[in-house]
Amino acid sequence: MNKIMSLQEMVALVPDGASLALGGSFLHRGPFAFVRELIRQGKKDLEIIKQSPGYDIDILCRAGCVKKARAGIVAMEGNFGLAPWYRKAVEKKQIVLEEHACATLTAGLRAAAFGVPFQPVGGVHGSDLPALNKWASIKDPYGSGKDVWVIPSIQPDIAVIHVNEVNELGDARIYGTFNWDRIMTRAAKKVFVVAEKLETVESFQAQPELTMIPSFMTKAIAIVPNGAWPGSCWPLYEVDYPEVEEYMNTQGSLETHMRRAPELAR
Amino acid sequence: MTWSPFSYIVTNLARFIRPDEVTFSGVNSTPPMLACLLAKRAYDFDFVYINVAGGVQPTPSKIPISSSDPVLSEGSTAIFANEDFYDLCTRGGMDLCFLGAAQVDGLGRTNVSAIGDWHNPKVRLPGGGGGAVMLPTARRAVTWRTEHSKRTMVEKLDFVTASGGMAGVVTPIAVFVKRDGRLALQSWHPEASLDEVVARTGFKFDATGAAPTPLPTAREIEALRSLDPSGQFERDANVALR
Repeated sequence: MNKIMSLQEMVALVPDGASLALGGSFLHRGPFAFVRELIRQGKKDLEIIKQSPGYDIDILCRAGCVKKARAGIVAMEGNFGLAPWYRKAVEKKQIVLEEHACATLTAGLRAAAFGVPFQPVGGVHGSDLPALNKWASIKDPYGSGKDVWVIPSIQPDIAVIHVNEVNELGDARIYGTFNWDRIMTRAAKKVFVVAEKLETVESFQAQPELTMIPSFMTKAIAIVPNGAWPGSCWPLYEVDYPEVEEYMNTQGSLETHMRRAPELAR
Repeated sequence: MTWSPFSYIVTNLARFIRPDEVTFSGVNSTPPMLACLLAKRAYDFDFVYINVAGGVQPTPSKIPISSSDPVLSEGSTAIFANEDFYDLCTRGGMDLCFLGAAQVDGLGRTNVSAIGDWHNPKVRLPGGGGGAVMLPTARRAVTWRTEHSKRTMVEKLDFVTASGGMAGVVTPIAVFVKRDGRLALQSWHPEASLDEVVARTGFKFDATGAAPTPLPTAREIEALRSLDPSGQFERDANVALR
C-alpha cells in the first residue's frame, strides 16, 4: 500500500470534529503546513490535543476551525507572549478549554497508549485543576497510605507528527528532542507523518534504533520541506521570527501570511 | 553602581543553583535559561543542567530567543525529552526546577491560568505547563516575576494552578525564600528598601534578617555580559525597577 500522498490528500482524510494530537512544542517542529492546510480545506469543530501548542492552536482559532483544546501551556513564546487569537477564543467562549498540566495530559495519553482507562500521575495535589476537570484521586490499593490522582484516557483520533526523515514504508525519525511525540503516536488511533525528507529504507535498516515511529503505525505520509515554517526544524532551519512577528500583527491579514507558506511553493 | 533589574533577576535566580544538583529550565523561561548558563560560567562548582529542549549538560553555540529552542540541546550527549524530565521530577530526582507564574501568593503557590474567574476570565493566561505537577514534586522550585506589585504578589490567587510552595521568588526589587511554609523576604534590591517591598507586596511576609542583596560579583557581571553582549535580552525583557 502506498502511503505517500500530497498534503492536500492527507488533510482530506481528516473529518470535521476529529481530535488531533499535534507534535512538537511551541514554535519548534510543529506540523504547521498540515495545520494551514486544515484551514484551507475549511475543517470545523476540531479538538486539538497538545501539551504546549502555540502558533498551531492560535492560527486554527483565528480561522475558526477549533471546538475544543486540551493543553498544558499555550503561548507563542520567545518574546511574543500570549497566543492572541487563542486567548480571544477562550475569553469569548468560542472554544472549550480543558486545562491540563503538561504531565496530566501525558498521563491521559499514557492511559490510551497502555490500553487502560486511566493513569496515575505524580504531583497535582493542592491545585485547582482536579476540581475543574473532575479528576479522581484514589488510595494506593497496596497500602502505602498515599493517594494518587488519576487521569482518564485521552485517545486522539490522529497524531500528526512533523519529522526530519521518513521512508516509503512510513518509518520516521526525528533529530533533536522529540518532545511528547512518541507518546502521542502510541496513544492515537492513527498516525500521520509529515516529513522534511524521504530517505531510503536501507538507511533506516542501518540504524533502526533511531526510528521513533515504526512503519506499521503510520497511515499516511506527506513530504513537505520546510513544513514546520514559521517555526524551526532542528537542525535544518530556525524560527522565522520576522514572519512570526508579521503573523502576530493583529491588523495584518491571515491570507497574506498563508500565501507565503512554503508548502505552496511547489 | 546601578544594578539593572534584568541583571538582578537573572543573577539572583542563578544564586539558587547549588553544586552537583539536577537543575531544570523550561519553556517560556528566558531568565532561568540565562541564569543556568550564567551559573555555568560564573561559578566554580559543577551542576547538572537539563532543559526542556532535551539537553543534558549542553554547550549551545548561541543563546536562543526561545528558551525551548532545540539549540539548547547542542553539545548534549543525550536527549532527555519531556516525558523523562517530568518523570524524573515526580519520582524526586529534580533538585531545582524553575517555573513561571503570573500571580504568587504568600504560600508560594502560583496562578498561571486566568485573571478573574476561570470560567469567565478577564485574561486567559497561558496555563501552568509543568507547574501543577512539578511545583509539589521538585525538591525545590523557584519562580520570578518581572513586575513586583500587589496584582502579581497577591494575598489571594484568582486560581491555584500549582501548589506546593516556591522555595524562592525573585522580582526586580526582592528575593524571597521559603521559611516555615511561607515566603519570607531574604533581601531587597540595594536601590529599593524594606518599606518599598512591603508597600508593593499583597501578602504579609516575615523579613527577619533581610538585608540589601549582595551586589553582583565581577564574574557574574562578566558571565551575563558574555551571554547578552549586545544587551538584546535585556532590552527584550524590558524590566523596570518601578
